[in-house]
Amino acid sequence: MTRKKVKLAYIYNDSARRATYKKRKKGLMKKVSELSTLCGVDACAIVYSPYDAQPEVWPSPSGVQRVLDRFRTVPQMDQLKKMVNQDGFLRQRITKTCDQLKRQRKDNREKEVTQAMFQCLGGGVSFGQPAHDGLE
Amino acid sequence: MDNNRELKKSLGGILYLINTPCIIFPPSIWCLHISSSSSIYPHVLAMVSEKPAMGRRKIKIEKISKKNHLQVTFSKRRAGLFKKASELSTLCGVDIAVIVFSPAQKAFSFGHPDVDSITRRFLSGSPSPPSSGLPQLIETRRNANAHDQNVELTRILDHIEAEKKYGEVLDRMRRADRSRCCWESPIEELELHELEQLRGALEELKKAVAKQVSNILIEPTSSLPFLAVNGGGEGGDFAAKLEIDNASSAALPFNNFGYARKIC
Repeated sequence: MTRKKVKLAYIYNDSARRATYKKRKKGLMKKVSELSTLCGVDACAIVYSPYDAQPEVWPSPSGVQRVLDRFRTVPQMDQLKKMVNQDGFLRQRITKTCDQLKRQRKDNREKEVTQAMFQCLGGGVSFGQPAHDGLE
Repeated sequence: MDNNRELKKSLGGILYLINTPCIIFPPSIWCLHISSSSSIYPHVLAMVSEKPAMGRRKIKIEKISKKNHLQVTFSKRRAGLFKKASELSTLCGVDIAVIVFSPAQKAFSFGHPDVDSITRRFLSGSPSPPSSGLPQLIETRRNANAHDQNVELTRILDHIEAEKKYGEVLDRMRRADRSRCCWESPIEELELHELEQLRGALEELKKAVAKQVSNILIEPTSSLPFLAVNGGGEGGDFAAKLEIDNASSAALPFNNFGYARKIC
């Protein structure tokens, strides 16, 4: 498996895009299947592509029908509660990643300060006049 | 032995007081757990070992028996599944919908452009969506938004990578320092006389820091909480804290090796 970092953007190269589509679609279906089995829950996936007239689905057209029927019996408000589209989903991811970043920076700051403290204790840094006057 | 314990407690207090000026967050996070097996910054170590991506074990694909495990797995895998679906639709420009029901019977769904249009399309059996006029314009706008967000997400992900690498650099330096200077080993490993030395040095340092801080700050020191006996880390003048933060980062002898950059 390649471990190159893939840019999160539309792939303009036709053959690369098609190859990626094949691989990732297959991977996605596998993940849906695993989730459904491991957790014993209903699930389905529908993918429309320019390569096929009919959508690629999991588990099967009738299986999808079943899940959709169940989905449509759920009151609309409950459907919407956990429904996301690309925009909303990305916004959630951005928020979460930002929080992770803040935490990481905090950790790093602590490490920096702890090390600075030990340097001071070891006589490495002296408190003389501040290096810059009028810091703000 | 009692002496040791007392000394360790007061050392912990002093370490806390010295670090608080430069690290502003509530004292509850700063429990130094000196009696535990971890070292001076145990909660940082704890965070490192609680990394979400840790522990890749091979599991059998059959229904999970333990309820807790099942629910945790569902949460994580559902999020990962939606992430994959999102990436597939971005990278390959395809329309997609994923619907899953949770163990608690809640309906989760992800759709691009949106769940309802895909389900309608599926149920009606017609293969292609409208490709002209207003729907097309909306589609284009939507794709442009998604693109911008992906750009931003990538930017933040890059930042995290940089910060993580920087964190590893810091860890390596710390381990190198440890082997050189006896003071810096975990507190448990120090003898009584070493602890006493350390405490003396820390108290001197605390005085020096307080003096330096008051030199740097514009405002007088009465509002600074960390100089109180049992320094609370919260409350106090927020503007003063911000100054301390900026001042201390200017005074620290660190460049971050080009890794971490200031963001938003």
